Amino acid sequence: MAFQILLNLCMAIIWMLFKNSYQPMDFFVGYMTGLIIIFIFRRFFDSRFYIYRILAIVHLLLVFIREVLLSNIAVLKIVLAPKLDMKPGIFALPIGITKDWEIYILSCLITLTPGTLVMKVSNDQKTLYIHAMDIPDIEESINGIKNGFERLIRDVSR
Amino acid sequence: MILQVCTKVCLFIIILFSVHSFFAGHYEPGGGFIGGLMTSGALVLLLIAYDMKTLKNILPIDFKYLIAVGLLFAVGTAAASLFFNVPFLTHAFGDVQIPILGETALHTATLFDLGVYLVVIGVTMTIIQTIGEDE
Repeated sequence: MAFQILLNLCMAIIWMLFKNSYQPMDFFVGYMTGLIIIFIFRRFFDSRFYIYRILAIVHLLLVFIREVLLSNIAVLKIVLAPKLDMKPGIFALPIGITKDWEIYILSCLITLTPGTLVMKVSNDQKTLYIHAMDIPDIEESINGIKNGFERLIRDVSR
Repeated sequence: MILQVCTKVCLFIIILFSVHSFFAGHYEPGGGFIGGLMTSGALVLLLIAYDMKTLKNILPIDFKYLIAVGLLFAVGTAAASLFFNVPFLTHAFGDVQIPILGETALHTATLFDLGVYLVVIGVTMTIIQTIGEDE
């Protein structure tokens, strides 16, 4: 991915040198031309076309923003409820991703979405121990969300 | 190995230069023919550095169809002038406002040139492939 971006930047600069004019517009046109050429030759590279990965990152960001909004509203409901009838608890979540930064991103996302908190990553890095604010009704849906995040992160690093 | 790694970068610069000379054709030396030749030159470099199978993997197209598509472009732009009650091969041009690029001068001769470009790539690559595959 880094090689493709570097190549694309070089192509944009070379395009400006060809045109002999150094406006930002020419850089943009050169970048787009390079993007199209790299897209045509995308099977030439070992990794996939890098725009797909950037789209996956944007997708992950948008899903994350939506989750933060929704779960903050859920926490607000619990805080404002007259009775505290929630049942906190800790559960283990088996994870399939292996790279360090993937686990880091996943646990940050889990922690930043309120209602859940990552307490520890197991030593073999295959399980996350998560503290949840309300276990009985949430655990199933939370697992669903975590699988969603995990799938999105895997999509980014693929 | 050195040739292959070098090809990975040089190929794109050659193609970028061919695209540049293709678009520069109206005001400066260049145009469809030299652009097409240079692009197929880049593809020949790919063929030399790797082999026929790699090229087929990277660009799974039949270059013979490229000739047909290019001729269609040329005939199409020429015949389109008939619909506007002007002689065959009359070209139109104008300044068009494009959202990001700003005011751009567009000319239908570019489409004709694109036809030339595709035909030149198609013919050159067909010749090279036919000779190369002959055992």
